Amino acid sequence: MGFLTVLKKMRQKEKEMRILLLGLDNAGKTTILKRFNGEPIDTISPTLGFNIKTLEHRGYTLNLWDVGGQKSLRSYWRNYFESTDGLVWVVDAADRMRLDACKEELNILLQEERLAGATLLVLANKQDLPGALSAQEIKDVLELDKITTHHWSVVGVSAVTGDKLLNAIDWLIGDIAKRIFTLD
Amino acid sequence: MSVVQKQINVNDEIDNVCEDLEVKLKYTSNITPEDVLKLTKITDNFLCSNNNEYQIEFTRFKIRDLETDTVLFDISKDPNMPETNEITTTDDKQQDGTTEDSGRFVRYLFSATFLKLKHVGATVEFQVGNKDVKNFRMIERHFFKDRLLKTFDFNFGYCIPNSKNTCEHIYEFPTLPQDLIDQMIACPFETRSDSFYFVDNQLVLHNKADYSYNG
Repeated sequence: MGFLTVLKKMRQKEKEMRILLLGLDNAGKTTILKRFNGEPIDTISPTLGFNIKTLEHRGYTLNLWDVGGQKSLRSYWRNYFESTDGLVWVVDAADRMRLDACKEELNILLQEERLAGATLLVLANKQDLPGALSAQEIKDVLELDKITTHHWSVVGVSAVTGDKLLNAIDWLIGDIAKRIFTLD
Repeated sequence: MSVVQKQINVNDEIDNVCEDLEVKLKYTSNITPEDVLKLTKITDNFLCSNNNEYQIEFTRFKIRDLETDTVLFDISKDPNMPETNEITTTDDKQQDGTTEDSGRFVRYLFSATFLKLKHVGATVEFQVGNKDVKNFRMIERHFFKDRLLKTFDFNFGYCIPNSKNTCEHIYEFPTLPQDLIDQMIACPFETRSDSFYFVDNQLVLHNKADYSYNG
């Protein structure tokens, strides 16, 4: 019985996924986190640290980490890379002025050894805003087609309306599950 | 085989674990996660001082019911945040008669319906001082009398200097047998919890709470 309990615990542990949400400040990381969890999104202030959510979703325990994106905080991102299964790169698709900075920061992350095993989901957020670039356009600007080191996908979403958000996260979870939990 | 051996020893000593920990404290100030995970009841005293060198400070506790999408309570040190009187902090329940322990003991007054909740989200918000905090881990042990109800064990990992952080655990409330629920309602404040916080496997913070369900 003790042995079975240990096995079961190991299985439960295996069913955990660690997902890291990063992106420039004001990209909408915290809003996405809250929308995904059905929380009000009307009073969100800049994140000066992290926001964690742990929840059950589709039989997995998801540990979602949203770390602040201000320039002064980005040098601390590396402290959160360890054991990450999925990286969600959140883009403010309406902030054309900062797409170069956005591309640069993403490329730095993609060279990071501790993120080498992570699936990449790029969210082209703020599709509800006029002038937002589409997912296709974000893919071109960020040159995602050049990525060969990670499984990746790009989805146009709106954290405010919730449009396509759940589908995008489900793709991420599905891809991680296929890579990691092959024995199931 | 050595694991089995150890298990038996632990069982033999199970009643003495709390006392052992108090003894250990007399010789060392280093209480580890392994120590508190062995505890079989609520501790008699706080196992560390109230002054942590990392200036970790809890600023908000919130519980919401996801079934009905209701905030059950939200207590915050920020005066602009709403407070309800379902939860009260007390000054009279102090372990040693000094004021040093104020702020780390909380008394929760719930109604019986609280024990019927199914799907809840529990949020803590905390800030840290100007030192970075490495390997920050929380272990929370909930007991009714000497019966362990639930253990939370979560590793926050790294905390940025001067950061403000939140963590919400969304979980299925454990289904409790009716006779246990009846006892918990009949015996206010016999449901208690110890919250232990570790930095690099050293205990730096210890908070306590007790609960009534007859409100």
